[in-house]
Order: sequence, then C-alpha cells, then structure tokens
Amino acid sequence: MFKKIQDWFDERIGLTELINEFNGERIPRRGGWAYTFGSLLAFLFTIQVVTGIFLLFYYVPYFPIARNATYFIKHHVMLGNVLLGIHLWGAFTMIFFLLVHMSRVYFSGAYKKPRELQWVVGMVLFSVVVILGLTGYMLIGNENSWWTINVLTNVASHTPVIGGFLRIIIRGGTETSVITMQHIFAVHVWLLPAVVMLFIPIHLFMIRKTGHQGMALEYKNNKLPDDDPNKWIRPDGTVPFFPDQFYKDMIVALGVFAVIYILAVVVGAPVGPMYRPLALNFAPEADWYFLANEELLKYFPGHGLIIFSTFLVPTIGFMILFALPFIDRGHERSPFKRPAATVLGILFLLLLVYLTLIGGEPKAPATV
Amino acid sequence: MAKSSEESPARRTFMMVVIGLISTVIGIALAVPILGEVLSPLFKKRDIVWTKLSAVSDLEKISPLTPKFIPVYFKVKEGWSINTLPRQVIVVKDITGDLHFFSNQCTHLGCPLHWIPARQKFMCPCHGGMFNVLGEVVGGPPPRPLYEWIHKIDKGSVFIQNKFLDNPKERGI
Ligand code: HEM
Ligand code: FES
Repeated sequence: MFKKIQDWFDERIGLTELINEFNGERIPRRGGWAYTFGSLLAFLFTIQVVTGIFLLFYYVPYFPIARNATYFIKHHVMLGNVLLGIHLWGAFTMIFFLLVHMSRVYFSGAYKKPRELQWVVGMVLFSVVVILGLTGYMLIGNENSWWTINVLTNVASHTPVIGGFLRIIIRGGTETSVITMQHIFAVHVWLLPAVVMLFIPIHLFMIRKTGHQGMALEYKNNKLPDDDPNKWIRPDGTVPFFPDQFYKDMIVALGVFAVIYILAVVVGAPVGPMYRPLALNFAPEADWYFLANEELLKYFPGHGLIIFSTFLVPTIGFMILFALPFIDRGHERSPFKRPAATVLGILFLLLLVYLTLIGGEPKAPATV
Repeated sequence: MAKSSEESPARRTFMMVVIGLISTVIGIALAVPILGEVLSPLFKKRDIVWTKLSAVSDLEKISPLTPKFIPVYFKVKEGWSINTLPRQVIVVKDITGDLHFFSNQCTHLGCPLHWIPARQKFMCPCHGGMFNVLGEVVGGPPPRPLYEWIHKIDKGSVFIQNKFLDNPKERGI
C-alpha cells in the first residue's frame, strides 16, 4: 500500500529522489555532536514560531492592555503558562545557543574561504534573533518593557545624522505611545520572523553548496599542507545527514527541549507589574543578553562621549564581527595553529561574560 | 514569430532590459507608499497641551532645595486615540525663591530618577547618572542637566506643557 503511494508520487515528481537528495548530505563524521547546534537553532526557531502563533490567540499589543493580556495568558488561559514559558525560555535558549554555534564555527575557522557568506548570513540571523528577543521583552507591557522601549529608542536617537528621525519613526511619534507598541508588535511577529524564515534556507543552501567544513580534526589524514585551501574541502570520512547526523540532532533537540519545558513549567515566564511612567523607585533591568551592552552605557560620561557607548563601540564591534571572514584570511583551521584568533576569541567570550555579570548591577546604589 | 533569446543576442538584451524595467517600476510603486507609511510620524505635528499643575501659593510653601514630585496627566492625541500621558514634575524652589520644574527622566537615556535625601542627589538606577537638586550633572554618563518643563503662571496656577525647554532635538519626555 505504502509502496503504491510512493510510486504514484515518484512517477509524477520523483519524490523519493528528492528526499534522498536532501537527506544524503555528507557530514564529516568525527565531530558529529559539535555540528548539532545549527539544527538545534532551526528547531528552536520552529518552536518559537509555533508557540508565538498561538500566543496571538489572546495577546493584545495595546499599551495599557498588553501586560494584562500577558497576565491573562499566564493565569487564566488553560496551560497558557506553559505556552508562554516555552516561548520565553525558548528565546533565551536560542540566544544562548547562537553564541555556542558561533563559537563552534569561530574556533574551527569554518568561516574562511569558501564559506565567508555562511558567516555573513549567520550574522544577519544573529542580529535579527537578538532584536526578536528585545522586542519580545517590550511586548509584555510591564515596567521593564516600558523603560526598555524608552531607553533603547533613546539609544537609537544617538545614531549620527538620522538618530532623531529614527526614534520618531520607531516610536511613531515623539513619545512612547500606543503606536510604538503596534510597531514593535508588527516587527516582532511578522517582519523579523519573515527575515529569519528567508535567511535560514539561504544559510543551509550555502552550506550544501560548499560542503560542510566541520573542525580541523576531520582532515587529519589529508596530506595537503594546512595553508592549501583545497585541503579543507574533503574531510577524511563522512556520514549521510539522514539518519546519522539527524539522529544526533534529535537527541540534542530532545535534551534541550526537555530543559526548556521544565523551566517553562517550574519557573514559567514572569509577567511583572503594570508599567508606571510615574514610578519613583523603580530600577529598570534589561534582559540578560543585553547586560553587556548595558554595562557599556555606564562609561563615557558627558555630551561629547555619549556617542561612544550608544553608537560607535557597539557598531564598530558588530562590524568587525560581521566582516570577520574578510579580516582573518589565513588558511589555518586548527585552533592550535592560529593562536592569535583563538586567544582573542576566548578573551572576547570572557569579556562578554564579565560585562554581563557586572552589567546587572547599578553603578551607583539606587537607595542609600 | 519573434526570435528567441538563443537565436538573437539583441533580442536577449532587449528582454532583459524589459524585465529589469518592469521589476524597477513595480518595486518603486510599492516602495513609495510603504516609505510614506513608515516615515509618516516625521510629518505629523506633535500634540502640545497645557495642563494645570498646582496653585502657585501651594508651591511657594515647599521648603527650599527640597524636591517635590507632582504628577501631571497630559491628555494628548496619539495616532488614532486620545491618551493620558502621566509624567512627573519635580518642583524645586532654589534659595532665591525661584521655582524650577524638572522632568524626572534622566537626560542620559531616560530612566526614572530616584531622589536620595541622604545624599541630596537624584540618582539614576540605570547607569549611575547623578544630578544635584538644581538639576546639574554631578556624576555618571548624563550629557546635560535635567530637562525643565515649559511652564506658565496663569491666574495664580502653574500650567505645564508636554515639552521641554531648551531641547531642540526633542529628546526625553
Ligand atoms: C537562526 C540561526 C542559525 C541557524 C538555524 C543555523 C543553522 C546552521 C546549520 C544547520 C549548520 C550546519 C550544521 C552545524 O555546523 O551546526 C550551520 C553551519 C554554519 N553556520 Fe549557522 N545557523 C544559524 C546562525 C549562525 C550564526 C549566527 C553564524 C555566525 C555568525 C553562523 C555561521 C555558520 C557557519 C560559518 C556554518 C558552516 C560551518 C561548517 O561548514 O563547518 N550560523 N548553521
Ligand atoms: S539613563 Fe540615567 S544614567 Fe543612563
């Protein structure tokens, strides 16, 4: 019976061939577990889309109501707390594994010729996912959302030349208002997810085209010298994506999903109190992945320097990361044979962790 | 019958130009209204209103150099609706008896200031900005002194406008 259905499709559109073509991608065989993070990100993004769509059954993006709608989902919609919890912890997990995936790619030099474009497309995905996180934080409509909207649109207003216009465009006016929320909503549920849905297939298509590089240990038996770009095209051994790699991907997906689920059920998503523009004793907090940036904002005092913390340092840092494959052009892949890149990478990660840890602390005590 | 692109290179060029032109025309035709929609806030006049704060006689009673937080509720048109914008006005009487009407938003990036009586300072909980009671920066990253609300005195009452003095770039608020 099944065979007959398969034949029916094969005669018309060659379905089996298509599926085999897709599933047969050759994956380097030694480091399989390290290559699961990309698929994990695609999996997590799917979870975000599915949970997000159903949160929309109850959510209202209107400023005074948004927070209460979120509260309603959490406390009055059956199992709404789990759905909301998965969406929140899924987002956190996704941002965390973006960093893991980027680190894996960075330390194995997989962004080098001919794979520069994978990295560039990856950076687009990275920026978009982080903005998705920030806009999601704003949509809750609680006190932190309110101050985050104000602070971040004010940060945007320090962009040279267009800054002031940018803030008015984002806010839909001079003040944060109902229109601001509507804009953030449209960006969070439509514009940016559409960009991600477009760019993940581009990312994967490019990886199919160049072949998957993996890590230096896949090329141990290759006799070519390390600085020969051709060396990094043919790994010693490969396995098909399905089922060998997919099997590992699924195990990792299950493990991570279980953690998200447990956090969603046990910790859940904090909704927090209603926004109060009149607050006299409220200390706004950014989401954890923004704390490193938040820390930066504490330095560079005064009128002339503010542009360093709000624009120059983040933009230049981001541009360096974006253009990494065009800056680091050596052909070495092993992290041990390119010590400068490896040490810089480790230092950068440590700096990120350090800034994040101290970023949460207000520099001056709020009450004395 | 027209020649195919494979038969005539000139025909190929012609078809490619037509394809490019059509895409450009459709693209521009779509981009114009989309840009208009997105940029529209830049061309809207901001709704400016006067709101009564308090009687002058009451404000003159406050002790000098002690900030008094008084909320105002501006009713302004925003987009399709009339909304209430609750904002804090910090009234400070200086030693000469003049009244100042500060905003409680930090001039760095807009967080809500806390008044710390023990230190006689406004502290910002976000990045550690500090202002003295007269609104001058005494520490941290803020680039300028506190914003002052535009105000007027009419028939013995103070009225506040939802706009800051000396704020050409319309920051804050
Ligand atoms: C939503 C986000 C992303 C998804 C779904 C995704 C997906 C994937 C997948 C499935 C792979 C192949 C398997 C693997 O090595 O893990 C991969 C490889 C790769 N990714 Fe991503 N990725 C994302 C973000 C990024 C980011 C942020 C970067 C870097 C800035 C990046 C750069 C790369 C590179 C250079 C490769 C090739 C690795 C190699 O050939 O060994 N990706 N990605
Ligand atoms: S917002 Fe007050 S110091 Fe940054």
